[in-house]
Amino acid sequence: MSLEVPLIAQEAEYRELMLAALGGDGASYRILLQGLTRHLRGYFARRLDPAAAEDAVQESLIAIHARRATYDPSQPFTAWVYGIARYKLIDEFRRMKRRPTVPLEDAGALFAADETSAALARRDAEKLLAALPQAKRDLVRDVKLDGTPIAEVAARTGLSESAVKVTVHRALKSLGGTLGKRHADR
Amino acid sequence: MQTDELIAALSEAPQPVSRLTMAGWIALGLAGGILGSIVLLAATIGVRPDLAAAMAGGPFWMKFFYTLALAALGVWIVDRIGRPGVNATRPMLLLMLPVIVILALAAAELGAVGAAEKRLLLLGRSSNVCALLIGFLAIPQFLGVFWAMKKMAPTHPRLAGAAAGLLAGSMAATIYAFHCRESAAPFVAVWYTSGILLTTAVGALLGGRILRW
Repeated sequence: MSLEVPLIAQEAEYRELMLAALGGDGASYRILLQGLTRHLRGYFARRLDPAAAEDAVQESLIAIHARRATYDPSQPFTAWVYGIARYKLIDEFRRMKRRPTVPLEDAGALFAADETSAALARRDAEKLLAALPQAKRDLVRDVKLDGTPIAEVAARTGLSESAVKVTVHRALKSLGGTLGKRHADR
Repeated sequence: MQTDELIAALSEAPQPVSRLTMAGWIALGLAGGILGSIVLLAATIGVRPDLAAAMAGGPFWMKFFYTLALAALGVWIVDRIGRPGVNATRPMLLLMLPVIVILALAAAELGAVGAAEKRLLLLGRSSNVCALLIGFLAIPQFLGVFWAMKKMAPTHPRLAGAAAGLLAGSMAATIYAFHCRESAAPFVAVWYTSGILLTTAVGALLGGRILRW
């Protein structure tokens, strides 16, 4: 199935948005790019692996933006977008052919442990924990990050097991609140 | 960068884009190329000494309009091929028209003379340099047209390069007519066309390398 089939149904709507965008209307442009992104994701997801697909989506969006003067309003808009997407797909295939591949015996080693993301997660968690008071922070780190058994933590701190659980639970809940607020701020 | 962030960045206060933007690039590229070719012509091989007299006669304009027609179609093709999703088949097919006309004129001239003169009509006095000089004069045209083409979005880089080479060669040949003293249609049909085919081929080679985006 090609991009054209679902995209062409919205030809009139997208063309209007494009004409507004070419006139400098940012709001229309944003709606257009968001709509096109959905079509582009579908198009590339069927043809590339997920990471390459999202790269190709972004490449296409940048190309649509940078080359928007090449859209002729007397021509179909969806054909123009499809032309760009197809070109970016071919470009991606060409790059894949040139890219050196990892020999099969090394592939296991490459994917055996995803240490980067674990380290990044740990770093993000530490950043969040900094928002907590010292005592709570230590409890959360011990229980949730290091995986120390509750009984052991309780024995070390002199708290009851249920007190440890409740403190950790409340601390995480308050962290959830901070995190939510930060997202809302952005 | 996240795709959402990218969209937000791109759609924040987009610059208005005129419908004439691409026409402007082509015009600017051609203007630069024409100026460059004229300077190159004046500085090297020069204008034919009998230009004023020649411009009063038909053969000069036969050459001039043959190559100018190819150049006009070249502009049309370049304008279409630089846009994704747009078909350039029609102007490419129309290229046959001026070629058919010049071949018909050439056939008529050749049919009217004997075997010895046929050779003269075909080879003239400059058949060995004509195509190469057109290629030489096309250098500034190449710079101008490829500059414009680089700003466009050709989805078939080699074909786009060929179109740019065709336009560059046709413009160069039009300017070459101010130097060239040949007046036979068979000569023009063979050697002017060869010069333009040469630049078209060079354009296709260059296009595959430099028209990627």
